[in-house]
Amino acid sequence: MLSFLPQLVVSGIATGMLYALMALSMTVGYRATTVVNFGHGDMLMVGAYASYMLVAGVGLPFGPAIVFAAAFLFLLGFAAQRLLMQPIIAGPHLSLAMMALAVGYALRGFARIEWGNDVLKLPRAYPSGAFMLGPVVVTMDDIVISGVVLALLAVLFLVFNVTAIGQVIQAVFQTQRGAALVGINVRAFHATMWGAGAALGAVGGVLMALIVPLTPDIGVATLVRGFAAMTLGGFGSLQGAVIGGLLLGIMEKVLGFYVSTVFIDITAYLVTILVLLIRPKGLFGQHATLRI
Amino acid sequence: MRGGRRIVWLIPLLLVPLPLVLDQYQQYVANLILVYVPVGVGFNVVVGNLGQLAFSNVAFFGIGAYTAGILMLKLGLPWWITVLPAGVMGGIAGAAASVPALRGVRLFYLAIMTLAFGELMRWVYIRWEPVTGGSFGMAVPEASVLGWALNVESRKFYAFLVLVVLVIMLTDRLLRSRFGRAFVAIKGNEEAAAAMGIPTDRYILLGFAWGGFVVGIAGSMYAALVGHLSPASFDLTELILQFAIIMVGGLGSLAGSVLGAALLTAAPEFFRDLPGFEELLFAVLIIVVILFLPRGLASLLARAHPLFDDRYFRE
Amino acid sequence: MAALLEISDVSVRFGGLTAVDGVSFEVSAGEVCALIGPNGAGKSTLFNAVAGNVVISSGRVLLRGAPIQHLTPHEISARGVRRTFQNGGLFAHLTALENVLVGLHTQVASGFLGLLCGAESSRRAEAAATRRARELLALMELDQVADHLASELSGGQQRMVEIVRALATDPPLLLLDEPAVGLAPPMRDRLGGIIRRLAKERGLGIVLIEHAIELVMSVSDRVIVLNYGRKVADGSPAEVRADKRVLEAYLGHA
Repeated sequence: MLSFLPQLVVSGIATGMLYALMALSMTVGYRATTVVNFGHGDMLMVGAYASYMLVAGVGLPFGPAIVFAAAFLFLLGFAAQRLLMQPIIAGPHLSLAMMALAVGYALRGFARIEWGNDVLKLPRAYPSGAFMLGPVVVTMDDIVISGVVLALLAVLFLVFNVTAIGQVIQAVFQTQRGAALVGINVRAFHATMWGAGAALGAVGGVLMALIVPLTPDIGVATLVRGFAAMTLGGFGSLQGAVIGGLLLGIMEKVLGFYVSTVFIDITAYLVTILVLLIRPKGLFGQHATLRI
Repeated sequence: MRGGRRIVWLIPLLLVPLPLVLDQYQQYVANLILVYVPVGVGFNVVVGNLGQLAFSNVAFFGIGAYTAGILMLKLGLPWWITVLPAGVMGGIAGAAASVPALRGVRLFYLAIMTLAFGELMRWVYIRWEPVTGGSFGMAVPEASVLGWALNVESRKFYAFLVLVVLVIMLTDRLLRSRFGRAFVAIKGNEEAAAAMGIPTDRYILLGFAWGGFVVGIAGSMYAALVGHLSPASFDLTELILQFAIIMVGGLGSLAGSVLGAALLTAAPEFFRDLPGFEELLFAVLIIVVILFLPRGLASLLARAHPLFDDRYFRE
Repeated sequence: MAALLEISDVSVRFGGLTAVDGVSFEVSAGEVCALIGPNGAGKSTLFNAVAGNVVISSGRVLLRGAPIQHLTPHEISARGVRRTFQNGGLFAHLTALENVLVGLHTQVASGFLGLLCGAESSRRAEAAATRRARELLALMELDQVADHLASELSGGQQRMVEIVRALATDPPLLLLDEPAVGLAPPMRDRLGGIIRRLAKERGLGIVLIEHAIELVMSVSDRVIVLNYGRKVADGSPAEVRADKRVLEAYLGHA
């Protein structure tokens, strides 16, 4: 029985990479604005659909399609934050949550109107195949997804820690008032970060479209898994998002095999609920729950 | 009781002759509105009055509906007997949903958890086939009250009207008492509320339980109305409809819940064959309300008549 | 007779920081006791410790001889301790009247089931509470604004309403957290008069944190000075004013 474990872990890491990307993209927006984007999953869905249109409709090769989709989502995220969230930023948290949620629903409504409830499949961008890595089977999908995510993570790591922009971002993450005092345009920052988060999410959406059939509702499952990963890793922590995502992917596969296939669906829900009840800080979280 | 408030009792009286002027379909829509009034009322108590970001309302609705349906189908109980258990199950679910809040979970964390709870319930409806009938759902036997079969829409109307009036009356009494004030106090400044001797944990539990109870009862009405329950009825599209009801109507306002339900419940009917429009409409409505009328329609009407003005005390 | 409030060797530590270090003092009924000291001296922390918002690390807090340091804020409040807050303790979504009604919460004799059933006793209890709240506001000449939302009131009015709310149940011990902040001098004098009357005529024990030294000196029976978490002086206003250590404490922070 245990002989299956390596395979499960490897497959889990591959899906986990996707969750890590989703969680990371959500965390970027959250760290910048301290608002959770409940519509994030749907932005990701739009990214996936955008790439579908570009690849299947216009015939664009895969690489450029991802870039265009990311750019489009950047603009969308930027606009959403600037036009809809910023005006109410000082208001009650409920309004912020509802606004983000409503934006997501609006996007889903658009997608459904445009494409109905049909299931779409992204045309193959590279030949399907599988390799043996010791006792473990690794598919082309696994490699492509993991590769893209790792590359993105490397780029992000460099940007954050090495470039000047990265220093600015880190500074604003740490203290918004301080940043404003130094002359950083915090409002533009907010909008830009939401855009960046959306763009990252778009990439995740496209990657997801490689392995999952496209419907307007894929955003929701994504959102739940992104939350679960963020919760597990610790809300607000960038490394936490990545590690949480990987762990979630592995848990789904392992529990799904050894305990019951039921867990493939519900692990994310259970992780969210249990972690928030037992150890709200998650693994690396800085922000605990509020004490009364 | 101020004179303005007594007018309220006229409204259900005026509605009594309604079935005489509506055809079957219109009556069905009116019944659907009645179902959604307690949905809005219960949701509003938790989100509007208590001020908690609870996204779990659809879970309570579904639990109430399925409780009623299962009791009728599997145990052969008549509908009117299943109403209270449906409410109780909703109340228990509400209490369960409040557990994270009791442990200090607030704001977005609570929203995420309750969202997860709602989706988890839907997963249960789908997977627990022997009991819920799975994805295909379950047929609910015809409803009856003390032997009087609710076989036409007009009969359902009267049965529902009684329940709705009861729910509104009880919730009004609760909200315009020290409990209702405590809820709003907790929403405004939990620390100060505790400093006044209010055991905030217990009251949060109470608010959630009451909300769940009321919505559970709405669920039982829903089961009687539509005759068939499926998990698809309790998905996230349903959630945004319920949110729209309380936001458009007015958070924290009982009159707002009624208004919101009256105005928005019929909308899904018009969009039955147009996938996506419903979501888009409610999303846009919510966005517009948040930006331009954050306290909902009730706040507009409050200036016109004290009926719509929330007052948390009795003279 | 046991003192109303006894702080017995109380220390509060947050991680490596000691905010309050072995502080002891007593407050009797009918006594106005002021807590003063430079910023960061530990006044607010001590205050919050008495009210139950902060958990103390060692020592005891005794109310009429009974320990309360382990109790939650609402339990302590139920035992007769009421407080005001430094900034905006009022409930913004409620009117002044409703705020005072919340203050009366623990004394309104309406039960959950009674209310739901529309029982006459519950309804009368609620109506009686409303009348009482209006009376209380009228005593402070605030009846005109009773039905205004708390957020619509002026700073001075808000402060007064908060005090009315805190007094609604006639608590034996009242904690006032910088009640004079942002008030114009005439308002301050009025506040001072009210505080003295509450203590002398109604026998309340009052502890207040305040930075306005003139108010403190004119209103208090005793003044406690904290510095770096420790008690530096404890005596009448005159004694404290003359105490060199107090001067050093303030100058040391200048």
